[in-house]
Amino acid sequence: MSVETSETVAEQLAATKKRALLSTLFGFTLFVILALLWVVLAFSTPNFLTYGNISNLLRQGAMTAILAVGETFVIITAGIDLSVGAIAGFTTVIVAWLLTNGYPIWESVLITLGFGLVIGVFHAFGITKLGIPPFIMTLATLTALRGIGLLITNGATISITNTEFTGFSRGDFLGVPNLFWMVLVVVVPGYIFLHHSRFGRYLFAIGSNMEASRLSGVSTVRMIYVAYTLSALCAAFVGVLLAARLGIGIATQAGGWELEAIASSVIGGASLFGAIGSVHGPLLGSFILTTIKNGANLLNVNSFWQQVITGGLIIVIVYFDGLRRKRQ
Amino acid sequence: MNQGDGDKQTGAANTAAPLLVLKQLDKRFGATHALKAVDLTFEAGEIHAIVGENGAGKSTLIKLLTGVYPRSSGEVDWEGRPVALATPHEAIDLGINAVHQEVLLCRHLSVAANLFLGDEKVRLGLLQHRGMVREAQKILDEIGFHLPAGALLSALTIGQQQLVAAARATIRGTRFLIFDEPTAYLTRREVGQLFALIRRLKAKGVTIIYISHRLEEVFQLADRVSILRDGQLVSTKRVSETNEQALITGMINRAIDQAHYKEAVPFGDEILRTEKLSGKGFHDISIRVRTGEVIGLYGLVGAGRSEFVQSLFGRFPQTGGQIFWKGQLAHIRKEQDAISRGIVLVPESRRDQGLCLNLGVGLNINLPIYKRLTKGIVIDPFAEATAADRQIRDVRIKTASRDALVSSLSGGNQQKIVVAKWLNHGAKLFIFDEPTTGVDVGTKAEMYKLFAKLLKAGAGIILISSYLPEVFDLSDTLHVFRRGRLVATHDSSQVSEKVLHETILTEALGV
Repeated sequence: MSVETSETVAEQLAATKKRALLSTLFGFTLFVILALLWVVLAFSTPNFLTYGNISNLLRQGAMTAILAVGETFVIITAGIDLSVGAIAGFTTVIVAWLLTNGYPIWESVLITLGFGLVIGVFHAFGITKLGIPPFIMTLATLTALRGIGLLITNGATISITNTEFTGFSRGDFLGVPNLFWMVLVVVVPGYIFLHHSRFGRYLFAIGSNMEASRLSGVSTVRMIYVAYTLSALCAAFVGVLLAARLGIGIATQAGGWELEAIASSVIGGASLFGAIGSVHGPLLGSFILTTIKNGANLLNVNSFWQQVITGGLIIVIVYFDGLRRKRQ
Repeated sequence: MNQGDGDKQTGAANTAAPLLVLKQLDKRFGATHALKAVDLTFEAGEIHAIVGENGAGKSTLIKLLTGVYPRSSGEVDWEGRPVALATPHEAIDLGINAVHQEVLLCRHLSVAANLFLGDEKVRLGLLQHRGMVREAQKILDEIGFHLPAGALLSALTIGQQQLVAAARATIRGTRFLIFDEPTAYLTRREVGQLFALIRRLKAKGVTIIYISHRLEEVFQLADRVSILRDGQLVSTKRVSETNEQALITGMINRAIDQAHYKEAVPFGDEILRTEKLSGKGFHDISIRVRTGEVIGLYGLVGAGRSEFVQSLFGRFPQTGGQIFWKGQLAHIRKEQDAISRGIVLVPESRRDQGLCLNLGVGLNINLPIYKRLTKGIVIDPFAEATAADRQIRDVRIKTASRDALVSSLSGGNQQKIVVAKWLNHGAKLFIFDEPTTGVDVGTKAEMYKLFAKLLKAGAGIILISSYLPEVFDLSDTLHVFRRGRLVATHDSSQVSEKVLHETILTEALGV
């Protein structure tokens, strides 16, 4: 009997190793897809591999990436945050209003992030205390925030005259656009938080089984607050960057970005059923999506087709990811 | 059923042609060899029990017979004719049905709607609701189940839902019916109703496979019993030619000298006392736990025992009464209040309450102690690995590594993880809610040894079990619950076992 037992354990061990390998391969696959896209575009268009275009791509991808990383924290808890695009749009108004009313840059940014924090806390309150499903709660704030933002400006656009603020988004450091550095500002602590701190473990645990986590002494309510607050905070941060990039504040900006964030997260291997996800996944996912858009523009592909291609790609990647999981 | 009766019927079954014959049935899942060349014959109209530890291949066998999985090799003959059994549909068309351990019905529909699901009564394109309820009630009354046909399924207890599932399987022209652990959540009365149904089906010529961990049920009900171990068929015998000890030996291939292992540990100081504690589902419960002591809580499912301990653990609010911890009045309002004092709970359902199934073994074991494993802001990866590996070794969890997903482990090993997570944490009072439900015999024995170890280390135990022999043998003091109240208390050491079992059952049933 003991011989048989050790055999099954050896078989299990092989399966576990195989799974670990497949998981690494998947992360690698995303990277290969991204690299492949870049190589193909570099050869098929004269303009792709120019400093100007790559900088532009990194700037555009940066915002989706930050939204997607924040979104992933929520998705890992088996929740969803539909409001991130609306928060980004709404906070462009806040930061623009603060700047035009003479607040210094740092103060404006911090207050704007504070708004993000409050919105996230409100989401978590609605979900944990009022028992509203995440989908509905964040759908409601999606609508409401756009409305509030438009009410503040009475539908008008606030132009930001602070050139120091808008200059930041055009600037670079060591040849890399500032906006991309901002991704690292989010991703590095995000990675440590999710993969190396106990709170990251708790996020996975409550996404897998809320009741079991609670009975194991995890403050599940607090972790829901953490997840939605981080997501909203990331979105508010994107709002600040977006305002700097375009130099205006109006609540209709970033329309549909929540879907890009969710798509990036899912392409990056996160499961909408919770408990599966990473920080590097959505990062790669968002740059894959951005590259496709960028490449399609350069190749003069009809922008309607871009949408179709993006949709098709999501199905293909998630299907293969599903296959990979089933094999486990 | 008395012995003579059983003999007569098995004699009758003998003359009939075999209904279903398995020849060298084999199933592999990748590297796992789940079923190894099993030869089995099911006579028409017999009740055939199958026993075995968790992971012995019983579930795999059911899934092959019901067309859920395709077999890897081997042959299945139905009335002498080879059949593919490639899809669930094919199995159902032949008349093969199964009642699963977990109820697979629609909770938001009525009992009647569930009974007729996929086969609704329709007139002019409209559902005949009242007609269906009437007919369903007739069927239920006829087979002797006391269930309201018009009630929503979600309003019934898990046991009653299982009876609905059984009733559903019987009304669809079933000729071959598989029961997988049907009595795990049933009250005694419901077990009686189910057994009556099974015997009626047998009388009608339906062949029945009966899978259960409760061996005494096998002897009450079955004609023949087969033992599976590690995917292999060990033996098939008439129940009259074997006994419980022989079955256990066959299942684990090692004799367990004592089914319910217990060491006498001297009692120490009182650690917990409740005074007239009340909450949702339980009223005025006063108990006392000392170190080295096992307090057993016996009762029917739904008697308020789980509600009581979950409230004690801070999961649900108390509405009255007091808790004293080591003599001090304690306010336990959330789980952390209990855990920080040293009260821990191993909950009833490992799937719903105990485990993060799609996460790793290590994460599950370490979940309560991540605070301790953290240095600064990050987890110390070495401490994390050591803590997990220690429990995997100590409680002997059979797993490839600490990173293996919990869902890939057998039920017994999963249960060990639920317990192991609190061993690293350490505690003064361990509450075990049905710790041996759906767990194999070997794991059970290890669990009992673990209890003794915890007691000797100076802990106290509250043990909930619906299996009277177990809770009776293991407890020092046994409390009987009925409808949310503590109705009787027994000192297990003082009274004779035989008399007491009947007394306790009567108290629990309230007849």
